[in-house]
Amino acid sequence: MLNGERITRGRRNWIRPAVYASLLIILFLLPLFVDSVYYLHTFIISLIYTIAACSLRTVMISGQISIAHAGFMGFGAYVSSILAKELNWTPWLTILLGGISATIVGVLAGYPLTRVRAIYFSMVSLFVGLAIVALIGVFANYTGGDIGLIGIPPLPDIKIPGLPDINFLRSRIPYYYFFLVLTVLSLLILYSLENSRIGMSWKAIAQSYLVASSVGINESGFRVLALAVGCFFAGIAGAGYAHYNMVLTRSSFGFLSSVNLLIYVLVGGTGSFAGPIIGTTVLVIVPEIFRWMKTFAPFVFGGIMLFVVFFMPQGIAGLFEQLKTKVVQFQQRKTLRDVT
Amino acid sequence: MLSSIYILVALGFALLLTVLGILNFTHASIYMIGGYICYQLAVVVGFNQWASLLVSMIAMGVFGLFLERVFFRPFLKDMNRIVVITLALIIILEAAINVSVGSYIRRIPSFVPGILRFSGVSISGDRLATFAIGSALLLGVILFIRKTKTGLQMLAISQDINGAALQGIKIHRIFAVTTAIGCALAAVAGSLMGAILSLSPFMGDQMLIKAIQIVILAGIGSIGGVLIGGLILGTIDAALPLFISGSATDLTGLCIIIVILLIRPQGLFGREV
Repeated sequence: MLNGERITRGRRNWIRPAVYASLLIILFLLPLFVDSVYYLHTFIISLIYTIAACSLRTVMISGQISIAHAGFMGFGAYVSSILAKELNWTPWLTILLGGISATIVGVLAGYPLTRVRAIYFSMVSLFVGLAIVALIGVFANYTGGDIGLIGIPPLPDIKIPGLPDINFLRSRIPYYYFFLVLTVLSLLILYSLENSRIGMSWKAIAQSYLVASSVGINESGFRVLALAVGCFFAGIAGAGYAHYNMVLTRSSFGFLSSVNLLIYVLVGGTGSFAGPIIGTTVLVIVPEIFRWMKTFAPFVFGGIMLFVVFFMPQGIAGLFEQLKTKVVQFQQRKTLRDVT
Repeated sequence: MLSSIYILVALGFALLLTVLGILNFTHASIYMIGGYICYQLAVVVGFNQWASLLVSMIAMGVFGLFLERVFFRPFLKDMNRIVVITLALIIILEAAINVSVGSYIRRIPSFVPGILRFSGVSISGDRLATFAIGSALLLGVILFIRKTKTGLQMLAISQDINGAALQGIKIHRIFAVTTAIGCALAAVAGSLMGAILSLSPFMGDQMLIKAIQIVILAGIGSIGGVLIGGLILGTIDAALPLFISGSATDLTGLCIIIVILLIRPQGLFGREV
C-alpha cells in the first residue's frame, strides 16, 4: 500500500507545478481577452486584496487572528500617498516606504499585543485598527480627514529605450501587470517564509505556545515578526491601491474592511497557502457577478459564507483535501472488499 | 444615559463570551433588529410602546434560542468557523432589514414623554426611563447569576466547562438560556436607543465596537466590571467631544484602553487569561 502510494505520488509530481504555470500564463494573457475596463478593475482589486489576505494569513498561522489588518493597509496607503504628494517623491520608492512604515507601526503595536492571546488578541487588535483610522482622522490637514485624500500621483511612466512608453494613466493594463508582478513576488516571499524554519516556529506557537517556548522558541519575538511581515505586505498592498485609485477615504480601512479581509482568509481556508487566494478571488468576483441584485446582493455574500462554514470545515481550499480523503477511504474500502 | 445602553449590550456580549466562549459579532445585529421589531409594533401595528418593548424582548430571546441551536452549538470548538458564521449573520440580517424596512432613519415614539426639571438640570423622560430600565435589568441579571441555580451553573461553566459537565450540568441547556438572555437584553437596548436617538440598519456596527471596548476594559468574566467599564466609556463619549474633535475622542478612548491593557492585560476587574 505504502509502496504503491509512493509510486503514484512520484508519477504525479509534475501536476502541481504544471497547474501553477498554466494559471500564471492565463493570468498574464488575461488582458488580451478582457477588454472591458470594469472587469480589469475587478481583477486588479482582487489582486490587491490577495496580497493583503495572504499577508493576514501569515499573521494568522502564528495563532494571532488580527482584526486590524485593513488599518495597517491604510497606514501604508496614507504614508505613501502623502510622501508622493507633498514631497514629490517617486511612487516606486514611496510604495516601499509605505510598507516599511506599516511594519514599524505593526512592531510598535505588536509588542503590547503579545500579552494577550486567542480571542482576546482579536478583540485588542480591533482597537489597534480603529486607533489607526482615528489617527488618520486627527491629522486632517495632511490626510483630508473624512473628506478624503485627493490628488495622489499615479505611477510614473516607464521609459524603455526602443519601446513605446508605458503610461499608467491611459489604460489599466499596465496597472494590471504591475499588481500581477507584485502579487506573484509577495506570494513567493510569503510562501518561502512559511515553509522555512521561521514558518515552522509560527505554526508551533499557534499549536501550543507553552510547548513552543519550552523548546526554545522565542514566543513574543516570533509573534511580532509574523505581525511585522504581515504588516509590510499589507502596507505595500495599501500603498499600491492608493496610487491606483488616486483617492483615499479613511472609512475604506475601518472595521468592516478588516473584517472583510478576515472573511476572505477564513472562507478560503487557513489550512493551506492557497486558501486566502481562492477566498479572495471567489468573494471579490462572485458579488460583482450578482451586482444586478442591488440590495439583495449581500444575501449572496452571506450565503456563500454560511455554505462554506456548514459544508467545508476547512474552507474552500480544504475541499481538495476532503475529497482526497474521501477517495482514499473509498479505495481502501474497495480493496478490503476485493480481498474478502 | 448612553452608558445604560452600552452596558445592556455589553452585558449580553460578555455573558456569551464568558459562558459560551465565543465572540458573538451578531450581537450588534440583534440589538438593531430588536429596535426595529419594537418600531414595527409600536408605529406600524399601533401597539402600546411598553407592550412592543416586551414583545421585541421575547421575540429576540426566542431568536437567541434558534441561533444557539442552529448556528453556535455545532461549531463551539472551532473559533474560525464561529467567527465566519457570526459575520455572515451580520451581513444577512443587515441586508434583510435594509430590504424589508429600508435604510431610512426611523424613530420610536417616546416611552416617557416630557422633560423633568430639577434645580436647573433638565433630563428628558426617556433618558431617565432608560437609566431606570438599564439599572433594573443589570441588577436583575447579577441577582440571577448569583442567586439562582441556573445562574450558578452558568458561573460553573465559565470556570471549567468539562468540570461542569462532569457534575451533571446540562451545558447545552445553559448555553441556550445564556444566549436567550443576552439577545433579550440587546433587544431592550435597541428599542430604548430607537426612542432616544434613532434606528438605522447599520447602527449595530458602532455599538459592537463599543460593546467589545467595554468588555475588554472590564475584563473577561467580570459582570460587575461591565457596569464600571460602561460608565467610564459613556462618560468619555459624552464629555470629551465638548473639548476636542470627534476622531480625537475616539483616539483618546482607544488609547486609554490600550494603556490599561498594557498595565493589566486581564482588564480592570478580570481574572487572569
